[in-house]
Amino acid sequence: MKILIVDDSKIGRMSVIKSLKIVKPDAELFQAANGLEAVEIFKEEKPHVVFLDLTMPVMDGYEALKHIMSIDKEAQVIVVSADIQSEAKLRVLVAGAKNMYPKPINDEKMLQIFEQDLLL
Amino acid sequence: MEVLNLEFNEDQIDALREFMNVSIGAATASLANLLDAFGTMHIPKIEICDSSELSQKIESTINLESMYYATKQLFTGKFGGECMFIISEESARNLGKHLYKATTPSRDDISDAVIELTNILTSTIVSRLTQELDTQVQFFVPSSQFIDAHSIVNSEDVADYSKIIIISTILDFKDQKINGNIYILTKDEAIKSLKVLIDKKIEEIYG
Repeated sequence: MKILIVDDSKIGRMSVIKSLKIVKPDAELFQAANGLEAVEIFKEEKPHVVFLDLTMPVMDGYEALKHIMSIDKEAQVIVVSADIQSEAKLRVLVAGAKNMYPKPINDEKMLQIFEQDLLL
Repeated sequence: MEVLNLEFNEDQIDALREFMNVSIGAATASLANLLDAFGTMHIPKIEICDSSELSQKIESTINLESMYYATKQLFTGKFGGECMFIISEESARNLGKHLYKATTPSRDDISDAVIELTNILTSTIVSRLTQELDTQVQFFVPSSQFIDAHSIVNSEDVADYSKIIIISTILDFKDQKINGNIYILTKDEAIKSLKVLIDKKIEEIYG
């Protein structure tokens, strides 16, 4: 399984990767530091799952989500963000994300994401 | 005498920015509820400067022509410092209008609105930041002033310190035209403690 982790913060990406290594130890992981890099990697690697931050330089997560969904309307995108406003969640769900979680993600949440949110 | 190493490496800066991002996210959500509005989040900025440069650094981020409500709240503990929120007179008026549904809010209404917003903002940010750093702090009573841009930093406040770390971001409710600048200032010995707390968290996450 290919998984793309998108966050401008290295510790933000590492935090997601730490839980992924427990829940999906065999997954092939790709990392992007902004939305533009994420879209490029998404086109090339066609990951099964994308973990996407919202507040990023170059291209933010809202824009990246739009691009990813236009490339593949079945894309499995989970938004992981510091932005915990209910309107932010509504916006990403309307744009096609499977769900949105507040940072940081722990192992239990990661397990829940794979069991409840993703269609794999 | 021990010489303090007050420089941060790339990973420490990245971690601090991320912890601040999570903290401002929590504060923005609380304020979004209070204002029944949507706040746009911005990437926090981390800068380490000499104490003599602080005034110039802050003035470079604001409109010097405006008057400001400036609220400062000190906190102490393993991570100690000062949380400062600056909101322009115009933005504060918009806040008063929005919060009290008044076309021409009184000076008292505006001042009350600023205090209400600042209390939520500073307590949420600092509490969340210290939670992210696995530590606790004690808060002092905040002080608030209505002042011009050049009077925000009092040179006597920073005279005893060599270096200051500025963690800053913007509070931004675009539709309501309410925005302000948030700064967390930490100095000398507290910077050293902050580095220890950050390194502990990095070790936990990076393994």
